[in-house]
Amino acid sequence: MTQTQPTQDEEQPRPGRWGLVAVTWTLVGIPLLWGVYNTLRKALALFE
Amino acid sequence: MAGLLSRERIIAGSGFNRWLVPPAALAIHLSIGQVYAFSVFKIPLSRAIGITQSTAGDWKFTQLQWIFTLAIVWLGLSAAIAGRWLERAGPRKGGVVAACCWGGGFVISALGVRLHQLWLIYVGYGFIGGWGLGLGYISPVSTLIKWFPDRRGMATGMAIMGFGGGALIAAPLSDALMKHFATATSVGVSETFLTMGIIYFVAMMCGAFGYRLPPTDWKPAGWSPPAQQRVLVTTKHVHVDRAWRTPQFWLIWIVLCMNVSAGIGILEQASPMIQEIFKGAVTASAAAGFVGLLSLFNIGGRIFWASLSDLIRRKPTYFIFFTLGAVLYASIPFAGKIGSVPLFVACCLVILTMYGGGFATIPAYIADIFGTQFVGAIHGRILTAWSAAGVLGPFLVNYIREYQIDHGVPKADAYNLTMYVMVGLLVVGFFANLAIRPVAEEHYMTDAQLATERRLIHEPNAGKT
Repeated sequence: MTQTQPTQDEEQPRPGRWGLVAVTWTLVGIPLLWGVYNTLRKALALFE
Repeated sequence: MAGLLSRERIIAGSGFNRWLVPPAALAIHLSIGQVYAFSVFKIPLSRAIGITQSTAGDWKFTQLQWIFTLAIVWLGLSAAIAGRWLERAGPRKGGVVAACCWGGGFVISALGVRLHQLWLIYVGYGFIGGWGLGLGYISPVSTLIKWFPDRRGMATGMAIMGFGGGALIAAPLSDALMKHFATATSVGVSETFLTMGIIYFVAMMCGAFGYRLPPTDWKPAGWSPPAQQRVLVTTKHVHVDRAWRTPQFWLIWIVLCMNVSAGIGILEQASPMIQEIFKGAVTASAAAGFVGLLSLFNIGGRIFWASLSDLIRRKPTYFIFFTLGAVLYASIPFAGKIGSVPLFVACCLVILTMYGGGFATIPAYIADIFGTQFVGAIHGRILTAWSAAGVLGPFLVNYIREYQIDHGVPKADAYNLTMYVMVGLLVVGFFANLAIRPVAEEHYMTDAQLATERRLIHEPNAGKT
């Protein structure tokens, strides 16, 4: 009996990896959002 | 250590989630994007001795300007010089070297400020840091394009968005750190450089160690290349040493150079321009807000236009940049004439989205035309267009403005001619883009050449093409 191995392009990420994806995106997202928030605060002067 | 950084060590295992790669790229691009916020150090550095005001022996703005210029020039040069090495060494090794250069550049500059030796800052931030910029900028490009063959534009757009976003983080961070470290005898720049060097080194190392390469010819699950091959999307590969001898290379170079020159002209003069055109109606703080908004739209444009280019393809995307851009530049003098601040602001904001979009879409355009095998190295060489635009754009804006004022044109109208010159640049870009055709068959690598190249970089399955 032969076993069929999934080919490289058929492999799906393990469910746990999505948790890691969320963590890494949060790590880079927080400083970026902080920067956007600071810039928007300063930009409000244009509309005053 | 060498093994730890090698390409073979970072081939992704089964079940690796490709969405882990963009945050790694962002960690690097958000760090090196600090370069756009370097101006926050200019005033404190010009008072390094006098503390509250510039005094004898303090550095002048004209001397300090060279720090940023050197860094940008070396960004382009190092990307062009080291692109091919990086392609073979792999993104992790490239990322680690970039982290050492960028972090190390800050540390050397901190020493330069402490000892009041400007040449140390030129060497540290300008030269060594410049290498960190170039290597860091191109390190994820090739990797992301291979992980996202279905969404090349969006993938590289995400990373290159980080380069714009880096300044948004660095400006307030630098400000806060300088306030924290400032004393009666120090402006706090040395300590700030040291702290930022350490922060960026750690962030970039995390990014570099987060990189993974897909196995050769990997495809996302459920995706297969379009059955009918698109005209300007090749499945073959052009060698980096061959690419620059093709007309397509120079046409793309002109496309990038014209798009960036026009955008940089607005960016560089944004604050004085809005205040002079709408004299009395726009205050200095409102102008600063306008500059902040331009940065946000520059970043937003990177992800928006690059993602859109996946749907409408690259050539039409640049056609939009050049046609819509020309209309908007031509509208700016009209907005000034009728005194409409909202129209002026709206035109500039859309222009800046296309400036950012031009940067973010170019790697995918290169991959479409030259294939993916050397996309990082070819991108590195095309980035010299950025260095050229960095000189051309500001030179045109400043020179034409001065010329106009010297010839009696009121300051409020002195930008009109500049805007029409920018339209001219965009017309040149339009025709360069129009002339782009698929690369001639003779320039593509043969299967044997491709296999040899893949063996050289130790790609698994190198023999299979």
